[in-house]
Amino acid sequence: MLEVSGLFVEYPLADRTYRAVDDVSFKVEAGEFFTLLGPSGCGKTTTLRSIAGLETPTGGSIRIAGKPIFTAGDGILVPTQKRDISMVFQSYAIWPHMTVFENVVFPLDAMGIRRGAARAKVEEALRLVGLLDYIDRPATQLSGGQQQRVAVARAVVKQAKVLLLDEPLSNLDAKLREQMRLELRELQRHVGTTSIYVTHDQEEALALSDRIAVMSAGKIVETGSPVDLYLRPRHPFTARFIGQANLLACTVLGRAGAGVRVRTAAGDMVAGVHADLADTATHVLIRPECIQFVDDAAPSGNVFEGTIHASVFSGKTVEYEIGTAQGGRLIVQAPPTVLRAHGDRALMHVAPERCVLLSEANSAQI
Amino acid sequence: MSATRAAASPGRWLPSIALGGILAYLVVVPLVILLISSFTPSGLPLDPGWTLGNYVKTYADPAFYGLVWTTARFALGAMAGALTIGVLMAWLVERTDLPARGLVRVMVILPMATPPVLLAIGWVMLLSPRTGFFNDMLKAAFGLTAAPFNIFSLGGMIFVETLSLVPSSFLMLSPAFRNMDPNLEEAALTSGASVAMMIRRILLPLLLPALLAAGAFLLMVGFLVFDIPGTIGMPVGIFVLASRIVYLANDAAGGISQYGLISAIAIFFLFVLLLLAYGYQRATGQSGRFVTVTGKNYRVRPFRLGRWRWPAFGLVALYFFLATLAPVGILVWTSLMPYQAPVSIEMLSKLTLTNHEAFFANRRVLQATQNSIVIALVAATVVALLSGLVSWLVVRSRAPGRRIIDALAFLPIAIPGTMIGVALIYVYLTINFLDVYGTIWIIVIAYVTNYISFGSRATHGVMAQLHQDLEDAARTSGAGWLRLMRRIIVPLALPAIVAVWIWVVAHCMRELASALLLQGGDNRTLPVLLWNYWSGGEPNKAAAVGVWLVVAMLLVVSLWQIAVQRGRLSGMKG
Repeated sequence: MLEVSGLFVEYPLADRTYRAVDDVSFKVEAGEFFTLLGPSGCGKTTTLRSIAGLETPTGGSIRIAGKPIFTAGDGILVPTQKRDISMVFQSYAIWPHMTVFENVVFPLDAMGIRRGAARAKVEEALRLVGLLDYIDRPATQLSGGQQQRVAVARAVVKQAKVLLLDEPLSNLDAKLREQMRLELRELQRHVGTTSIYVTHDQEEALALSDRIAVMSAGKIVETGSPVDLYLRPRHPFTARFIGQANLLACTVLGRAGAGVRVRTAAGDMVAGVHADLADTATHVLIRPECIQFVDDAAPSGNVFEGTIHASVFSGKTVEYEIGTAQGGRLIVQAPPTVLRAHGDRALMHVAPERCVLLSEANSAQI
Repeated sequence: MSATRAAASPGRWLPSIALGGILAYLVVVPLVILLISSFTPSGLPLDPGWTLGNYVKTYADPAFYGLVWTTARFALGAMAGALTIGVLMAWLVERTDLPARGLVRVMVILPMATPPVLLAIGWVMLLSPRTGFFNDMLKAAFGLTAAPFNIFSLGGMIFVETLSLVPSSFLMLSPAFRNMDPNLEEAALTSGASVAMMIRRILLPLLLPALLAAGAFLLMVGFLVFDIPGTIGMPVGIFVLASRIVYLANDAAGGISQYGLISAIAIFFLFVLLLLAYGYQRATGQSGRFVTVTGKNYRVRPFRLGRWRWPAFGLVALYFFLATLAPVGILVWTSLMPYQAPVSIEMLSKLTLTNHEAFFANRRVLQATQNSIVIALVAATVVALLSGLVSWLVVRSRAPGRRIIDALAFLPIAIPGTMIGVALIYVYLTINFLDVYGTIWIIVIAYVTNYISFGSRATHGVMAQLHQDLEDAARTSGAGWLRLMRRIIVPLALPAIVAVWIWVVAHCMRELASALLLQGGDNRTLPVLLWNYWSGGEPNKAAAVGVWLVVAMLLVVSLWQIAVQRGRLSGMKG
């Protein structure tokens, strides 16, 4: 449905050229919810604005449903208003001099649809976001959350092929944000529009997306499903940016069956995921919740010994900071069934299929 | 607890009464005296007898309605021109990829440095039908027998007034363009709207409050301004309100000031101006209505002008040429000539510094310079202080009567300088309260009254932006009122107060109308001296005074813009 290839966005600075987007390529299938995730300044919003036509890239091409809307070489540049897209802005961009109805009907006016037919569509869109009762309210009398819903209704009413969302939830407070996250997900499933979503919030990305592209410094670091990116990332940046991570620098000792034997500051271990990276592996990732405390060195290896340095109790889990015998440091999350005290000795075990090899050299594809 | 409360209660009124008293003395007393004098036969407020004769004589005269009609056409024409150019310039500077935007800003704002009276004199020299430089050039170039342009016309007055109002119009409109979330326009485009539809349905309605406010303000200025219609129209008998008042006060037949008639005319225009001021107040009050949630400030994508970039730049440069380079250029030329002579190669041999030497040697010039400087510094300091206090009281305190204080400080925006001049003559000619008649202090009083409304509006903005927590934090830290002011409020509001101060200095140095009416003895200011030279048939001396006035104004306006920019930066950090 959407195909971005070899995209560059460059700005001339006083002394050099700044690359906001640096050779970004991805494909999004029809109906897919695709997220660009990364820290601020990584180029995700610029990429999205390039798709909308609000930013003019300096290289590459963009296609929607097979039709080129931007090509650097041929000089194709379809203006924003002629692209089959709609967009939700971070600031909502609700027009303050109009009512809710006037805001939502605007895209239909632009398409030349008569008010009679348009009214039904507007009501349908407002029903979807639960604001039908507010249809005649002036826009300035809406709360932040309501403005956000109007912005969504205005975007879906057009039934464009591609829906672009630029951090639509980041101006809401935490509780409303979680609620809207669920609603947005449901709405997207219901409407079935291909959606491109930009966020810096990894939890939001995991909860909403079919697929996520992790971006850093203008490049896509890695693309994958939420499960893959959390459990089986290939790049240390992904591992660090999504979720909590024990990232241990490692040296490869050799093959061990399907896995790879490595030496780390926590001890020697067998890493069972991404054995194909053995040649270039720089780190092993162990998620804190994948480490279990054990009573004796029963299982077959991957057992470490350490001393508890600190602990934080937060109800559902307890987080321990542990110094290993080799001088390394591990974060462990455990259920509060057995509480351990500062200075206690502890034995820990990690299953090899929870030890993930990572490589800096490895970079994006797909 | 109740004891402290009872003790504090009279104190609560003290600041309101003190400030209110000063403002009432400055604003209400002259207006009341003006009103009374319109009902006395001699036109002086304390003279015996009451009459409606002034009103009958004024309003029964068909010429009066001609005067109203001329003034209205002048004000509307200048407003329409300045608003159109101001919108265009504000949009170009704030929203497009116009080249050399810093330079462009300077070119739009700098014309403020040319006092309107000089602008008018410059344009008379350029477009007078007999000796105007541009007219002569066009005649020679196209073999015309008659001059193509005549500055001595309503059109000529509107043209020059438009040039002089553009900087104000630009400064009032550019924040509207700057503060509008560009996402609002982008959302229209991503909704599929054409650029024309976006402008019609989104951009213009959002700008409407700012346009109304600027329009009402410019209309008011057009109704009350004296300098340009006085310089261009008065000699050929085209009168507007302000020039009529000066004419009746100074030059009317028989040389007797017709104060009664002046008052009757003034009351009518005061009514019109108060209506406009009310409209302006409403419009500015509404402009906050459209403020919505805004997220991160995404770098505004400038509108690509494409091949129109340099033509657009050329348009701004043309404005700068018309509003500053051409009129100031001809003034410089004239100031270097022994007599008013056409611009030509032959005349280069006659170049002389005599007028400038005379400028620096003349005792009257030095006196006027000194007067102007003292008046400007004192008036600006008083206005800055009063504005700061008024704004703090109105915006930040809960003092009783603060709405009245606000209204009193705003009212002078509707009172022309000529009217304040006339009213002050009444006050100090008839009441031996302060012996300031004929001194520079009566002019200081006029200017303080004149500029307090601008000053307090400007400081209102800053006071409103200071978060209440900053003040509360100081109070909970144990600071009393004085310490709160000295350590917190004044330092934070300082850039705005400094900007007000410099703005008032600049306007005191260029203001002509009230100083002209209040002249007497040795209280002449530079613009008055210049006016006297000009109307006395000494254009070369006038030009020399004008050139040095422009130099001084350039300096002050540059300082003002630097202060404004500083203020904006520190505002962003805070």
